[in-house]
Amino acid sequence: MSNFIPGQPLIAVVLRIEIKKLRQGDNLILGFSIGGGIDQDPGQNPFSDDKTDKGIYVTRITPGGPAEEADLRMGDKIMQVNGYDMTMMTHDQARKRLTKKNEDVVRLLVTRKSLEEAVKHSMGSYPRQ
Amino acid sequence: MEDYDVRSAASILASVKEQEARFEQLTRALEEERRNVSLQLDRANLPPNTPTSQPLAWQQLVMQEQSPSNATSLSMMQEPQEVVEETVTIEEDPGTPTSHVSVVTSDDGTTRRTETKDISSNVKVTKMVKTVTTRTVRQVPLGPDGLPLPEGSSPLGSYTDSIDRRYMKNGGDRFITPQATSTLTRSYNNSYNDSYGETPESQYIRHYGLHDGYADLTENYGSLSRGVNFRPPRYPYLPNSYRPENSYTLPIRKDDYGHVAQPQVPMGSSTVDLNRSQPERFQAEPYGLEDDRRSLPPEEEEPYELEPDYSTANRRTLQGPNRGRTHREPLRDVPRVRGYPDEAIEAELIDERHPYIHGMYSAPLAQPERGSMASLDRMGGRRSPSIDSIRKDPRWRDPDLTEVIAMLGHPIDPVKSNAAAYLQHLCYENDKIKKDVRQLKGIPVLVSLLDHPKSEVHRKACGALRNISYGKDNDNKVAIKICDGIPALVRLLRKTNDMEVRELITGTLWNLSSYEPLKMVIINHGLQTLTNEVIIPHSGWEHEPNEDSKPRDAEWTTVFKNTSGCLRNVSSDGAEARRRLRECEGLVDALLHALQSAVGKKDMDNKSVENCVCIMRNLSYHVHKEVPGAERFLDPSAPQAPGSAGPQRKKKDDAGCFGGKKAKEEWFNQGRKNGDNDKNYDTLDLPKRSEPTKGFELLYQPEVVRLYLSLLTESQNYNTLEAAAGALQNLSAGQWTWSNYIRATVRKEKGLPILVELLRSDSDKVVRAVSIALRNLSIDRRNKDLIGSYAMRDLVSNLPSGQQRPAKNLEEDTVVAILNTIHEIVTDSSENARSLAQAQAIEKLVAINRTSQSARETKAASHVLQTVWSYKELRNALTKDGWNKSHFQPTLTATPKPTKNGKPGYDDTTLPLMEKNQDGYSTIDQRDKDLKYKTVDGSVDQTEREPLKNDTNRKHYIRSNRPAVSLVDACDVKPQPVDSWV
Repeated sequence: MSNFIPGQPLIAVVLRIEIKKLRQGDNLILGFSIGGGIDQDPGQNPFSDDKTDKGIYVTRITPGGPAEEADLRMGDKIMQVNGYDMTMMTHDQARKRLTKKNEDVVRLLVTRKSLEEAVKHSMGSYPRQ
Repeated sequence: MEDYDVRSAASILASVKEQEARFEQLTRALEEERRNVSLQLDRANLPPNTPTSQPLAWQQLVMQEQSPSNATSLSMMQEPQEVVEETVTIEEDPGTPTSHVSVVTSDDGTTRRTETKDISSNVKVTKMVKTVTTRTVRQVPLGPDGLPLPEGSSPLGSYTDSIDRRYMKNGGDRFITPQATSTLTRSYNNSYNDSYGETPESQYIRHYGLHDGYADLTENYGSLSRGVNFRPPRYPYLPNSYRPENSYTLPIRKDDYGHVAQPQVPMGSSTVDLNRSQPERFQAEPYGLEDDRRSLPPEEEEPYELEPDYSTANRRTLQGPNRGRTHREPLRDVPRVRGYPDEAIEAELIDERHPYIHGMYSAPLAQPERGSMASLDRMGGRRSPSIDSIRKDPRWRDPDLTEVIAMLGHPIDPVKSNAAAYLQHLCYENDKIKKDVRQLKGIPVLVSLLDHPKSEVHRKACGALRNISYGKDNDNKVAIKICDGIPALVRLLRKTNDMEVRELITGTLWNLSSYEPLKMVIINHGLQTLTNEVIIPHSGWEHEPNEDSKPRDAEWTTVFKNTSGCLRNVSSDGAEARRRLRECEGLVDALLHALQSAVGKKDMDNKSVENCVCIMRNLSYHVHKEVPGAERFLDPSAPQAPGSAGPQRKKKDDAGCFGGKKAKEEWFNQGRKNGDNDKNYDTLDLPKRSEPTKGFELLYQPEVVRLYLSLLTESQNYNTLEAAAGALQNLSAGQWTWSNYIRATVRKEKGLPILVELLRSDSDKVVRAVSIALRNLSIDRRNKDLIGSYAMRDLVSNLPSGQQRPAKNLEEDTVVAILNTIHEIVTDSSENARSLAQAQAIEKLVAINRTSQSARETKAASHVLQTVWSYKELRNALTKDGWNKSHFQPTLTATPKPTKNGKPGYDDTTLPLMEKNQDGYSTIDQRDKDLKYKTVDGSVDQTEREPLKNDTNRKHYIRSNRPAVSLVDACDVKPQPVDSWV
């Protein structure tokens, strides 16, 4: 999602990730933490290329937790959660969207830089080592 | 990283615009120039009075050659060459054309131009041109015969010419227009005249210059014209750049003398421009590389590779910090200028390849559809102005790998270098091809090309090796080693001054150094060379500094970065490697100097600094045991006889590796005793030295403390932070005079608060290194008191709190390290134990003790708890808080068992230094090794990049690891980023 240039086609490679929440006492946990949101300072997001990107990013993953099991990665940007767009949300809205008590499973659409890069490479550019 | 597609589109657009603008400018300049030219020509006819200086004239000449770079790729391609050249000329001329220059220029302008542009003044010019041409023709024959001057380009000329000529014949039908020929002639004339100064004009010029008393200028001019070895510094800005480029171009001709032997070329051919006709030049552009280059993201490390071949080059040049690029540009540009003739040449080359490419005719069109003229049609058409013409030609197809490898042995050098360059391209990010190259025995051939005298050949071979050596497939690295690639690389490093080649060599060595079994080989063959050739010169360190001159700063060049990365890798190869590096003359001195310069310039977030600190950290490991003469410094105040304390202790540590509980307890006891004896360290006197410290002794001089503390304060790079903390950790370990002194110095330099602050870091490894460092530092009694009072909260906050999710995801090792540090701090200090309890640690400790999944954590926590309970004076308070004895007991007798059976690591981590895994001290973890080049190639792995990104925001993110609540009282005006667990 980096370097969006108006008029240029936007390539978004999304990854579908399904996480089954883990019950810990009363809590259902996903085992990762998020940062970002439209109410946050995007300049401080270490994961985004575009420092105006106010999207929700995965900032940490609990080792062995459900998110890790599902192969969510640090730095992934969350585009959707169970079909809801996550790119224009406050931090708290995002947190609530992810922690609904009545949902045992969340399905995420995320973008991941390494994948984007891989796709770009396969599309005919040949950078060199 | 950037989006390549977008980027190329954008850059093309930008370049087009830029070129349009430039063209406009040029047109204007042209007008003016013409006026000038006419004036000057007039004046030129009256020699003595002309006031212009020679060098300028030169420049203009050069310009013509280089014009290609300036001319847009787009326009260039479709338009007749002349136009292009004209543009160039115009561009450069604007300032002050000398009479001579103008002559030349007019030459370029050639008749055609004049026609189009209707300038009356040009008429004269045209005339001039003609004269020159004739003369040239006459003289050419002389060149090959006499060859009186080494600079004499004629021999070369002849060879090159022959090639050119042939090419022209072959491909000439299609591509070469009469104009083209004339252009060539012209340029030949120019260079010829200049180099020999024999033509009346040039002589005139020289005299003229001399008469005018521009001695300097003249000299300058002279060297330039000779074209030999004059290498002006960088001229980042276009107007200036002509000169250097020109001079570069000329020297290269020298290389070709080898060809002199074949003067079969008829005189006529010699008219062809010498510069251009060199085979190396044209083919300097490897087929494959071009595409690669184009797709490079701008952040790429190698500036030279960045240059897209097209108009972007202009921009770059203008902006300029183009080290290493300057010389290359002319090379690349030349072919472009010539455009059509090049194609002809290529055609010729390919014909020569025929033996290798049977079936070429039947082969299907390569992959013209690839979108770009990307990699694959390169064999055929890469450089061609119009790809279409090539695509239409059904003969082109890609050579297969076997053929490419066979071409490495082709008798014609440019074919070799192109094949190597193509291999480099093919191998890029393609493990399969790397493997195939290896299995097809391509690696030994490439290695043998490293000794090839032609820079173009060994450069490309080196590039290919660098790509091949990159990646997880260690067999490729081994293959390079087996055919003695490492000594070959080192040899080449000693020979070459070409910065680009040096970058490739050191990059390859860096790649190789990531594989353990090769580390010692690299040390054996390359350590001193790398140090002498790269580390010392780039570090700015001088053996015997001139007292008057300011100490030089380090230069963070790519070569330095690669080399320090390589040494960083090899420095983790155990005691012997450390010894070799420590004793390598000048290495430690230079690294230290580089780091000091980094601190001085506040420039310490780069990779080179990281590498240097990591090397220093690794070399600081076990100094108290490994350094020659260490026995002399064994701590005299240690309770046991100094002579026995060290070795004895060491043995115990070793025993500890096997998890013996006894050893560990003894260690604790000993620590306790040592603690009692630490009180007087402040008064410790440094050993007296008669001579200045140098070499490895610098590693543990108290002066380094300030350096590391500066890094810890200023750096934003987690790896650097970890390494600097690790260095302090290493230095403060052990019982010898120096570690005593280091511990005290850290305190005196106010280092403790700096370290404590870093306990809040987001980075697991930083926290771990800092925590172990604090532990070692607290061997010093006063440090222990201070750390107990000021660091406890931060230590405790890093502990997971049982049921609740941890504040950070600290690894087990880190948690254990923190627990052990806490243990060390509360040992022998009920005061510290009290502050531990006040920091709400008991709850966490009990939780860890009871519920942690990790036996090591459980055990470490249990030790702390037992120690706390051992202070009877605290029990009251503890019971009041609801704790009882059972909370402080080891949970189960079962606990020790898993420790014994499981990881023996516990004891190790209690040691001041983690003996168990030297990796704890070796800087390079696997990820690092495998990915370090990823940063270069644009497909950076997230994990690798993330720390770097974090770095820039470290100050903020440090806090973000704490619960969101605590963020509120951060005094920053900016809202702190919130981070929520879900």
